[in-house]
Amino acid sequence: MVKVANDIQKTLGSIAKGMGITIKYFFRKPVTQQFPNERWVLPERFRGFVHNDISRCTSCMLCAKACPVDCIYIEMEGKGKDRMMSRYAIDYNKCIWCSLCTESCPTNCITMSHDYDHAVYTRSRLVYEYVTEPVAPYKVPKTPKPAPAKPKAEQKPPAESATPGKPSAEDGPSKEAGPKDTAAGSEPPKPDDPPAPEEGNA
Amino acid sequence: MELFYRLFEGMGIFAGWPTPLVQGLAMLTIAIVLVLGVAVAVLIFSLGERKVAGFMQSRYGPMYVGRWHGILQPIADGIKFLLKEDIAPAAADKPLWRAAPIVVFTGAFLAYAVLPFGPSFVGAKLDLGLFYAFAASSLVVIGIIMAGWGSNNKWSLYGAMRGAAQVVSYEIPLTLSVIPVIMAVGSLNMGVITRAQGGWIYHWHIFNPIFLVAFLLYFIASLAEISRIPFDLPESESELVAGYHTEYTGMKFAFFMLGEYAEMFAVAAIAVTVFLGGWYSGIPVIDRVIPAPLIFVGKSVVLVFVHMWLRWTLPRYRVDQLMSLCWKVLLPATLVLMLLYGLIKVVF
Repeated sequence: MVKVANDIQKTLGSIAKGMGITIKYFFRKPVTQQFPNERWVLPERFRGFVHNDISRCTSCMLCAKACPVDCIYIEMEGKGKDRMMSRYAIDYNKCIWCSLCTESCPTNCITMSHDYDHAVYTRSRLVYEYVTEPVAPYKVPKTPKPAPAKPKAEQKPPAESATPGKPSAEDGPSKEAGPKDTAAGSEPPKPDDPPAPEEGNA
Repeated sequence: MELFYRLFEGMGIFAGWPTPLVQGLAMLTIAIVLVLGVAVAVLIFSLGERKVAGFMQSRYGPMYVGRWHGILQPIADGIKFLLKEDIAPAAADKPLWRAAPIVVFTGAFLAYAVLPFGPSFVGAKLDLGLFYAFAASSLVVIGIIMAGWGSNNKWSLYGAMRGAAQVVSYEIPLTLSVIPVIMAVGSLNMGVITRAQGGWIYHWHIFNPIFLVAFLLYFIASLAEISRIPFDLPESESELVAGYHTEYTGMKFAFFMLGEYAEMFAVAAIAVTVFLGGWYSGIPVIDRVIPAPLIFVGKSVVLVFVHMWLRWTLPRYRVDQLMSLCWKVLLPATLVLMLLYGLIKVVF
């Protein structure tokens, strides 16, 4: 009899305890994040989709060469002064978000953005085309470089800093400027148009 | 029913009509009102259940449909149920299989006829009201067996067999647990039982120690009767897919859900009538201000919330534990309670 009474007391006690816990949670604020409306604050150096400011691209091909998975396609047309860039595409099926292309870019035109939700229906839609019609490559102005180079004038010769041949010299300042640029320019850097599903590039 | 009958008489539209016809019209009206009320209540409960589930798991539940906290989610669900393809298993026993959802819902709905929502808001003032309510709700088990057998599916049949064993077994402690109250009141009429608890809150039956135990037993047995967690063995999704309604889609499945929630409210309302003072708020002044049906429904909804609360707290019983709880604990306890209250009644 005593045992039964003890059992009943224990059972009711444990049920009450459990119900206490669940009701506590009931009045607690949910931890859910309402995703499309609310988003995480991303770390500053988050590597999202690559942003390419095509107007500053010199089409030096360094990014395509640096890419370990060869996911950047650059095609050129014409010769000499008429040389035009006809295609600049990044295949996000292959991209491993290593950021090596942004480190190698001499003009900071290719950077990592904070954009990450680019769901698509077919794989071919993940090949982002940045050039709609052939554009002339960006000509790096000769003069503006000395200004940033001045404080560190004794460390390195300022003359070569802008030439594509020596990307490593440009590396330091560009790395700092790159992510900040995109962080400030909040807007997701959508490719100019959703790329036409183009096969045969893979 | 009297309410509508008097209303029809007062309006004078049916003057000169034969009395049985007018009475039949009143019955039809109250039946329609109750069906609509049950449908609306089920819509609210289905959203409420998902919200309660969500908040107890630190999430929001439905948030999108209807712009404000998923307020139109039940309607979206209803439309979805209507649009779903109605798939019937090839080997099913078709007539049985089709009739089952109707029987389940009807069984759950029949008890509403005697629920006393207020002094004059009663479908039928039966002198056998409580007995009728229990008898009607036991119809559900027939629907469950029909569904399980008609589906021609082993999981469904398991679920139906469990359901039959469970519901039939728990009917006994469920009915016996209210007998002390019936002995005290001396009537099975739900209105009379409620009136015995009028006035201040301590007149409610639950504040009598014996009736408190009876209430706990009733509550446990009623959870099993409506197959809610911790007694949801007939449809235990982790073992039996969905038990007896595995093979149902679309509106047929919706009718099972409708029946389940309607039954939830019905057992809660019976508990409120028998133990928790029915349409009385417990403070005489408030009774005169707030309409009786509101108080009655409010109390029942609180009990339904406790059902949901328990659902997200307790794990499921094992079949043999379920049976031993019923036959070895609840049944003797209710019998002892009956005996005890009878002795008290005789001695004092």
